[in-house]
Amino acid sequence: MAVEVSITSEIAEKLRALPDSSAVALHLKSDQYFDAIQGMLDRFAMKKDLEVVYVTSTIPSQSIINALEVLEIPMDHIWFVDCVSQIMMSQAKRHPHAIIVESPTMLENIMLKVEFLIRGHPERNALVVLDSINSLAIHNNTKILSEFLHILVNHLRSRGAYTVIFSMREYETEEIRNMLVLVSDDSIELGK
Amino acid sequence: MPATEHSDDERERCVTGIDAIDHILNGGIPRGNTVLISGSVGTGKTSICIEFLVRGALNGENSLYLSVTEPTDKLLVNVIPFDFFDDKLVRQGKLQFVDLPKIYDKLGIDKEDLDFDQTRLLADTIAGIVEEQKIRRLVLDSVTSVCYRIREQERIRDFLLRLGTVLSAKGCTTLLVSEIRSSEDGYSQWGVEEALADGVIVTGNLERRGDLLRTLQIVKMRGTTHSRAKYVLDLTTSGVLLVPLLKGGSVASGG
Repeated sequence: MAVEVSITSEIAEKLRALPDSSAVALHLKSDQYFDAIQGMLDRFAMKKDLEVVYVTSTIPSQSIINALEVLEIPMDHIWFVDCVSQIMMSQAKRHPHAIIVESPTMLENIMLKVEFLIRGHPERNALVVLDSINSLAIHNNTKILSEFLHILVNHLRSRGAYTVIFSMREYETEEIRNMLVLVSDDSIELGK
Repeated sequence: MPATEHSDDERERCVTGIDAIDHILNGGIPRGNTVLISGSVGTGKTSICIEFLVRGALNGENSLYLSVTEPTDKLLVNVIPFDFFDDKLVRQGKLQFVDLPKIYDKLGIDKEDLDFDQTRLLADTIAGIVEEQKIRRLVLDSVTSVCYRIREQERIRDFLLRLGTVLSAKGCTTLLVSEIRSSEDGYSQWGVEEALADGVIVTGNLERRGDLLRTLQIVKMRGTTHSRAKYVLDLTTSGVLLVPLLKGGSVASGG
């Protein structure tokens, strides 16, 4: 399991090295996914006392919550904006820390839910995770997605929040890379 | 500043307390304005109005909600449980809810159609309550229902002019709720309301690729410069939240 430890440590270390309010594009492979989440939430966000708003359009929030429970990562300061459970018609049970957005095409509603959750915890700085740009790109065209990222990232920056945007290397296109370069302050290539 | 540009420093503001609306209006509604808040059902008109009043009461401004169509006890059960709402405001009389039908009863108005004198009596009575209770924020929900009973355009014009003039003079900022159908042109049932109002805020539904978004747009506001862009609205326990409507070349319907 030496590789897993190295991924969790690597991401935590790289995020810690960034200045406050940074927006980061996190390029990773699918097999690094849960290690990256663990490193980001357990080793970075918890150590910095950040309130985490995790926007998932890749897998249902409950799947991530189940993984966090296995990893014994406390949920007290982790909140989900779940854009995928409703369209999958899969989940009857709703975790109290998860807010549902009907569809990943409702980008404005994602911004509104993120804002709502940040407002609910004004005493703590926030880390907003966007998981992932690739799954959002399945449902939205590049123009509206670029506009969404531009507005969201700049808004979060003005609020002093960190933004981490997941990009799965296997599904990256030239357009996605350009979009991320435009809005990010930095880029982390995991495992490179 | 160019001579043609509006100076926002000229008018005192009624800071609504709804951050995004205050931001769009460069600091709030000019004090004393009468603003039409117009939209079809389920678009958030009443929630916006209630938040406007609660925020005002929290800020020490006496606030009054005049309900025409729905008894206030029923309204309060269904309204969003705002985190910032405090029962004390109602007990202290800073935030008051009054059913307009009770005022009709007191005035002996029992006919469906209001004549000229009754229309004036109603306007003067509302103005009297505002003066007596030192009301700084008023919501009439809905002006459409009142106008249904007044019926004639001339009398509606007289009612709105009389009410607007008196309330403005008293520094009372007023929201008049206008119910329209989503298919309707214009922002009010009779057209008179929007012409006489100092401001018009429009709420609506926008369908985009099968998604239904709540929207808000400020199309008119005398006494201030403001954005006229369309925003997407969310009604939350933290209050009304707005973000810009994304264009992105994917909007199928203009809404």
